[in-house]
Amino acid sequence: MPELPIALALFLLANLLVALRWVMRGPTQADRMLAALLFGTTGVAVLLLLAEAGGVAELLDVALVFALLAAIAGAAFAERAWREDRRERARGGD
Amino acid sequence: MTIARSPSLRSSRLWLMRAPLFAALWWVLAEGETRAWGVGAATVLAATAASVWLWPPSRAHLSPVGLLAFLAFFALQSLRGGFTVALLALRPRLRLRPGLRVLPLRLPPGAGRVLLADTLSLLPGTVSAGLCDDELHLHVLDQALVDDADLRAAEDRVARLFGLELAHA
Amino acid sequence: MAAIDWLSDALLLAGGAFFLAGTVGVVRFPDVYCRLHALAKVDNLGLGLVVLGLALRADSVTAVVKLSLIWLLALFASATVSYLIARRALRRGITPWSAERPAPPERAP
Repeated sequence: MPELPIALALFLLANLLVALRWVMRGPTQADRMLAALLFGTTGVAVLLLLAEAGGVAELLDVALVFALLAAIAGAAFAERAWREDRRERARGGD
Repeated sequence: MTIARSPSLRSSRLWLMRAPLFAALWWVLAEGETRAWGVGAATVLAATAASVWLWPPSRAHLSPVGLLAFLAFFALQSLRGGFTVALLALRPRLRLRPGLRVLPLRLPPGAGRVLLADTLSLLPGTVSAGLCDDELHLHVLDQALVDDADLRAAEDRVARLFGLELAHA
Repeated sequence: MAAIDWLSDALLLAGGAFFLAGTVGVVRFPDVYCRLHALAKVDNLGLGLVVLGLALRADSVTAVVKLSLIWLLALFASATVSYLIARRALRRGITPWSAERPAPPERAP
């Protein structure tokens, strides 16, 4: 079915919006951080489907950069968190 | 695999091993396009230099076969995890028994522990929630899903990937 | 329609179904930790199936490798990001929801 990718892209977009709305309404600040996860997976899937649907191969590279940035951001945060841990322990924290 | 004797020999071995990997990666990214080979060659050299600088050879060395085996394990576990949690979410009556669990680590500090935390985040029942001293804190979605043997198996895999010794816990 | 197209369609639809399940999890699960499980795992499986379905339609080997690379990167990213969110939430004193004591998640003073 040639229309499937575009239909699925729209469906995932709707999904993303619903999940995003719930995440934003979440009771804690941590709930809102879940938005980062949503864009890392659903966002990438939408881009890949649009690349196929429109025959725009360049969108594949956009998706790759999205995934790469998500991975790098994760690693950078982890590194910072690691350093904070070490500092806390040096100060004699838990 | 044998360990090279002198540092310079080891570093040139590193270049010989990694440069082809980056070249292959470039070939994939350019989708086989050969017109921009000049840019590609420069990028491959820069990437290899950066990798040798940032990730010098250490006692814990990765074997390419071990890496592939681990990636396969990682992907497979992720499939299993996704499937189980999806079933939980779709069950008509939501019955979860979530909780926290502490896993005493046998891996030495460093990259191995971070990779273990990542791997456990993809297993069916667990999300890593903190590395502290020699313990890994986990959030468990449903106590019935999590088996200590699974957690230990993941730890063994990570240890084998890096060639690390596990302490007795 | 060739069998490969049929398989590709089936994989794409299955991927969509898992994305839907992930969203259902976000809506139904009781606290931020449980919602993490839903997003970090179910959506990744959805992405994996979409990637597989698209790989069957791809016209070159490099495109297939690129698609798998994207999936692996997304896997590592969500594993790391979910770890960070859970850790942050625990440190801020957000108590995990429990069946025995169904109190709403609250922040410590």
